[in-house]
Amino acid sequence: MSEPLRDASRWVYRGVWSILLRWFHVPGEPPTLPVPSGERLESFAPSENWLRYLKLNFWILFVLQKSLWLALCVALIIAVPLVGLLLTLPFLAILSLLAMMMYLALHLRFDTTRYVMSSKSMRIRRGIWVIHETTITFENIQNVSVSQGPLQRYFGIADVVVQTAGGGGHGGGQPGHGGNMGAHFGLIEGIGNAQEVRDRILKQLMQSRSAGLGDEPASSRRGLAMPARGWQADQVALLRDIRDAVAELARA
Amino acid sequence: MNKDKSDFDPFQITRPDRVLLKHYMIQALFGGPLFPILALPLYFKYETLKYRFDNDGISMSWGILFRHEVYLTYRRIQDIHLTRGIIQRWLGLSTISVQTASGSSTPEMSIEGVLQAELLRDFLYAKMRGSHQADDAQTVPSGSSAVGAVQQNARSATDLAGSGATGDDEVLLLLREIRDGLRAMAGNRGARQ
Repeated sequence: MSEPLRDASRWVYRGVWSILLRWFHVPGEPPTLPVPSGERLESFAPSENWLRYLKLNFWILFVLQKSLWLALCVALIIAVPLVGLLLTLPFLAILSLLAMMMYLALHLRFDTTRYVMSSKSMRIRRGIWVIHETTITFENIQNVSVSQGPLQRYFGIADVVVQTAGGGGHGGGQPGHGGNMGAHFGLIEGIGNAQEVRDRILKQLMQSRSAGLGDEPASSRRGLAMPARGWQADQVALLRDIRDAVAELARA
Repeated sequence: MNKDKSDFDPFQITRPDRVLLKHYMIQALFGGPLFPILALPLYFKYETLKYRFDNDGISMSWGILFRHEVYLTYRRIQDIHLTRGIIQRWLGLSTISVQTASGSSTPEMSIEGVLQAELLRDFLYAKMRGSHQADDAQTVPSGSSAVGAVQQNARSATDLAGSGATGDDEVLLLLREIRDGLRAMAGNRGARQ
């Protein structure tokens, strides 16, 4: 792409953005979470490579579809030249316009997908026409998984899928496709440090004793090394004294 | 769009805003010739829709022929979705979908027609499991490495409040007496031998 063309496309894109902000009430600032004062919020966006990945997907689809349509159009023109030409030209124009809009939508999708994380919860925002914001506290998370396809591996990105309790479909197909947000899960897609984010979520999850739907009491899970819950340090010390006294009695 | 934070009180919400009816009618318009059939149930839904927020949960009811009433407690909330379609944004509306751990993917409750949806969402967030913003500020110093554990203790302590506080002291007293008794016994035996 030459430099003036790039400038022009950037200018058009900025125009589209300002229209979205002003007339379509797309929020310009990233999502936030209510946190106690002093705590830092970590806000992050998908990686640049995610955009490249989306574009590659787009071009693959584009070439496949376009060659099919073009073959059909050529066949039509050869069969009935005049009518074929009249039909196919507007049709191709509409197709290319649609493709351009799809390409623009990729950029918009990239710019409107935002994640924010506090020490207790995370929020995911996604969408342009319909804006979805999902809030999930780490305490409610049932499992965290990282998924990566071969193309995504090439670009060095991966998706983190966070699931809460409860089932149900994803509202149509795979989580990542079509950008729809189903119930009971949060999708952090296209990030470069997926492992890191996964580990962070897991760490927060482990720290909470009642994660998931509430676990069995921690004392029975962790064995005898931990003092029993409900006992205070001085009570335990007293019990030790008693044990020693009894031992002395037994010896005597 | 949103009014000042200070004059938002979720406990005051009982009815959806009038704009919701407008949104329902626009929705029905998309049905084209089916408009009357679509608009009627939506109109009645709007007219009968009632919310009640109390200390433990939300109650929502609607319907004339088929009545629905949903009650769910804040602590059972699994995830909160805030959805704003393009028309909703124009009208200043949002849908807050609240989900519990049930088997369906459709939300248990969709709160529509609240103008200050973001504030309501944050209110629900503060009440749901695992956020504990409100009681954290008072009982738990933030930044502790075992926030969850401390929270758990704080929670069980408040559960036991009344009976537990004195109970622990009594245990301590009892144990002390036993120890002293045992010590005395041990001393006696040592003296006898």
